[in-house]
Amino acid sequence: MERYDVVVVGAGNGGLVAGTAIAQAGFKTLILEKHNLPGGCSTSFVRGRFEFEPSLHELCDSSDNEGDMGMQSIFDRLGVKVPMLHEKNLLRAIVKGEGGYDVRLRAGYDEFLDSMEEAVPGCRESVKKYLDLMVLLNEAQDYMNNGVPNPATLMGKYGDFVRAASHSNDEIMAGFGIPEKAKNIIDTYWGYLGVPCDDLNALHYLSMIEAYIKKRPAMPYNRSHELALALVKAFQSYGGEIRYNSEVTEFLYNSAGAVIGVKAGGKEILARKVVSNIIPNNVFNMSDETKIPKSAVKLANARKLGLSFITAYLGLDASAQELGIEDYSVFICNSPDTRKQYEDRLNFGMYVVNCLNIALPGASEEGTSMLFFTLPMMPEDFPADLKAEDYKKYKNDYVRRYIEDYEKTLGINISDHIEEIAIATPVTFARYLSTPAGNIYAYSNGGWDNVVLRTVFDNIDKKIPNLSFCGGHGIRGDGFSSAYTTGAMTGEKVIAELRREM
Amino acid sequence: MSDLNNIPRADLFSMFFKRIAAVKAASDSPVKDLYSYPANRLARELHPECQHLKIKEIIPFSDDFKCFVFEADKELGTEKPAWFSAGQYLVIAVEIDGKVYCRPYSIASSPRDTLKGEIMIAVKRVDEGIVSGYLLDNLKAGDKVLTSAPLGDFTYEPLRDAKTVIGIAGGSGITPFRSFAKAIAEGDEDFNLILLYGSRTLKDAVFSDEINELAKENPKIKLVNVLSEEKKKGCEHGFIGKEIIEKYAPEGEAYSIFLCGPQAMYDFADKEIAQLGIRRKFVRHEVFGEYFHPEKNEDYTADISKTYNVTVRISGAEYTCACPADTSLLRAMEAAGIKAPSDCRSGRCGWCRSQLISGDVYIPQSVDGRRIADKEYGYIHPCCSFPLSDIVIDVPPAKG
Repeated sequence: MERYDVVVVGAGNGGLVAGTAIAQAGFKTLILEKHNLPGGCSTSFVRGRFEFEPSLHELCDSSDNEGDMGMQSIFDRLGVKVPMLHEKNLLRAIVKGEGGYDVRLRAGYDEFLDSMEEAVPGCRESVKKYLDLMVLLNEAQDYMNNGVPNPATLMGKYGDFVRAASHSNDEIMAGFGIPEKAKNIIDTYWGYLGVPCDDLNALHYLSMIEAYIKKRPAMPYNRSHELALALVKAFQSYGGEIRYNSEVTEFLYNSAGAVIGVKAGGKEILARKVVSNIIPNNVFNMSDETKIPKSAVKLANARKLGLSFITAYLGLDASAQELGIEDYSVFICNSPDTRKQYEDRLNFGMYVVNCLNIALPGASEEGTSMLFFTLPMMPEDFPADLKAEDYKKYKNDYVRRYIEDYEKTLGINISDHIEEIAIATPVTFARYLSTPAGNIYAYSNGGWDNVVLRTVFDNIDKKIPNLSFCGGHGIRGDGFSSAYTTGAMTGEKVIAELRREM
Repeated sequence: MSDLNNIPRADLFSMFFKRIAAVKAASDSPVKDLYSYPANRLARELHPECQHLKIKEIIPFSDDFKCFVFEADKELGTEKPAWFSAGQYLVIAVEIDGKVYCRPYSIASSPRDTLKGEIMIAVKRVDEGIVSGYLLDNLKAGDKVLTSAPLGDFTYEPLRDAKTVIGIAGGSGITPFRSFAKAIAEGDEDFNLILLYGSRTLKDAVFSDEINELAKENPKIKLVNVLSEEKKKGCEHGFIGKEIIEKYAPEGEAYSIFLCGPQAMYDFADKEIAQLGIRRKFVRHEVFGEYFHPEKNEDYTADISKTYNVTVRISGAEYTCACPADTSLLRAMEAAGIKAPSDCRSGRCGWCRSQLISGDVYIPQSVDGRRIADKEYGYIHPCCSFPLSDIVIDVPPAKG
């Protein structure tokens, strides 16, 4: 029987980082991946003369500040190098209807404040205070990471941290007196976390947008597939072994309820520690149910699944300039209010269209360009009775409406230039990722399942011995950098456990 | 004083209690099964890991061309053949002398036939074809066949393609067009198909009568037989070129051209199509067949008479085989009985994607469908990679 120090189940962003960190520390590590490619969402696909980016909109947190858990410092520690291009602009937000606007936000602290002031004269000071809150939030998190916090200090000196950690982004922005329109503009990124800003935790949202604003969004040159390959290369250089087409079908336990390995390809593989990059729901379904703590099952049942998407990838036979496309990221909304955008998600509430050629000139041949439509959908939105024979029509009809809306909104023609098209739906994501309902964001970050409570209860909830989790379902929520971060944290934790037990 | 003074800090505690209460109130019965979700169920139905089928009927057109009608082998767990998009193919896996061979075959039946539990492929004898010969000469009704899910992107895409498609078919390249025509007749595809079908004589034009029957009932379907070796009333004579295409093309309206046939047909038709001045987006080829004779390319400078050693790693186990310079790594592995994954065998689908650990390979540019980063990081598609030295390669295990 094969034996490893650590088996990592799933070669997604979190699993690759955790596995690489553990292998780098000298432990015999095996990564098992169901698909024939590494990366999970971090991938690409080729159609005709185009290679499409399927999931990554932009990397946040790609700075290399010493000591922070940002993705660049994680990659540096693992010896992973991927050339990236940083963008000057954050986004263009086009909001239709009453109170609508069309604004562009620039990246960089001062540039962001300038562009906010241009869009909403007089908002600069209040927006600055909101952004600067992040300084206190970082201090507070450092303070909490250094031993048991003193409640008086926490409530006094770090009182605003406590407020941001326990209120929605909209409540905190209102506290700073940010004008309504400015608040709505700042809220534009809510789709990246999947929860409207009246429910989205302020600490979570501010951490994310601050990372985009200050550290600038970045893109790898050769699609996110390159990020996965760079991690695999580092993992292998530390002696790690990765196997594709190797789906784990069972988690193995001893009589004391501790994980002792997995079954893949009909064979049992033993490990001292197992790291799961796959969602707890799937792990529990592949386990002897008597071994799962009742509290863990209850938690999984209590949680709400997060956002999924219908996405469309268009290869066009005209350049962005010829078509009149000027922006990398365009957010198109039918109302300034994120709650309304969320509720209307199946009917143009909010969707994102990216043109990779703007961020990465040369991403496709000269005289061509690529568009990536991201249309949010909750797991319960996918029609339960859709038949196999109606699926093709369903997805084409769905996307056609959005292409038409995009053309009308921007006053441009793309329909006549579609040389390649691929459409992905929750069915596609279910096929490649095996997530429940084909969802992408794992568990919703809203309500009581926000990242603050996930972090706090991570130390309290009863765990299955020898089993750790990382990825979008982890304490940092969805997103590339969040998955890298939980991968790094889980890697460190597993290394410490292994060393303690030696 | 903080701007946020009016926001209560005590809400932190109520938030904790909310979570505790929510978890406490939740059910402790096992979490929902993955396939209780409609998207996962549909994904499994559309893209099964493999399909266990058995031969329901064999329709022989000649000793060298037969149709195989499959039905689901329920005993082995396949309830019905998966729905597909007209134009797609199945990979058939057969065991010959203890070695597993996989080959792609276009689906000839319509998607709707799967609802009746049927799916049909057409097999034409290929020179040196190990698998086609085996299928044609050995298979009989009732035999079990393992296939892939439906695959491939030689499909009609309403948001991309013109409303009228000129189909150019040669030989067994007619197969996907039978599926297109039937799918139009049954309402599952909505476009006008003008099918230019090249054969030597009308007798060779398999499916011609059937497609004509469909055309009689449906104005969206039209068939034109183009015969190279006989003149017949109602048929065109010669090869399918610019003039014939222009004669049947819709006037003053964009049209797409879909081609499926042997390389020689592509070589001729592509030159003719180039003179029509239509945009690249309107011309689509089905990949049809493996790449042979890499030495015919100008950029091939190695000695084609050599044979190299290939070390193959699969899931930690190691195998070896010999690979002549003119043979793809995939064929060499297959001949040695090493089970490697493969689907399209034309460089495009990436299912055979493997890591080149050491050694050099020649990859013909025209079939190099790899991702950019794969090229940089040393991953290859063995179906289109020819050895230039001894090779060590890490191959994912084949499924099924």
